[in-house]
Amino acid sequence: MKPIRVLIVDDSAVMRKIVERSVRQAGIELQEVLEAGNGVEGLAAIQQCSVDLILSDINMPAMDGLEFLQGLRCLENAKNTPVVMITTEGSESRVVEALSAGARGYIRKPFTPDQIKERVTPLLEGVR
Amino acid sequence: MNPALSEKSTTRFRPDATWHTLIHAAAHEVFQMMVGTEVQAGDFPPEPQLGEVSAMVGMAGALCAVFRIRCPQDVAANIATKMLGGQGDASQVCDAMGEICNMVAGNFKGKISGLSDQCMLSVPTVVVGADFNVYSSSQERVEVTLRYDGKPVWLTLEISS
Repeated sequence: MKPIRVLIVDDSAVMRKIVERSVRQAGIELQEVLEAGNGVEGLAAIQQCSVDLILSDINMPAMDGLEFLQGLRCLENAKNTPVVMITTEGSESRVVEALSAGARGYIRKPFTPDQIKERVTPLLEGVR
Repeated sequence: MNPALSEKSTTRFRPDATWHTLIHAAAHEVFQMMVGTEVQAGDFPPEPQLGEVSAMVGMAGALCAVFRIRCPQDVAANIATKMLGGQGDASQVCDAMGEICNMVAGNFKGKISGLSDQCMLSVPTVVVGADFNVYSSSQERVEVTLRYDGKPVWLTLEISS
């Protein structure tokens, strides 16, 4: 697999760094990492640069992860980009809501690099 | 809107003897997986009213409560540094503590059957300093004291209804 471009959306800068580190520890090579603090910033970032994978929190100010997912589906360069939600909101209804809105996977915090590998790697097959 | 908030919940969750253990287990998993540190049950004196670092998350729905994690400043700084793989700095302490509180609260509610779907978490709030008091309408509380690298971390769930 070639190195990928990833967008990490989370209102916590600390969590964005942890997610990036965990992705690297999962053995996924990163060519470029874009960061956003909420859905609004995430959509703006995507309009500037296409990515191969999006990892997003759900609970965020300004625009939450579910609204962000809906916005992504309106963008030509992102409507098929795999999105995996990484969040503490692990309730079944939230999982269903996220998957219905187009998320391809769901990871509950706290998480391990192995869980990232398990959920994300299959989505990257054939990417780039 | 999430069903927890759009529908009136018929079930109210009340604390029982297992909640202390569940909070401890939730915290243990979060510290182990995200901080890389094993925490043990602590035998420190009751939570002092000294200002240090307090992170709080609101819980609404079938359980109305505030979940709080409080610890000395040096412990919070150590947690932030470890979370960031040794690269953290003081500016990230509040962010790190808010995330820890959020994850422990979320992990805890996920351990109670039926609660996760009926209870939402707020974004975390972090208070640093000594000159403040906390007033709460809580009717019950569950307190857990942990030992983190030999120092105290206090966890409190204050239940309003």
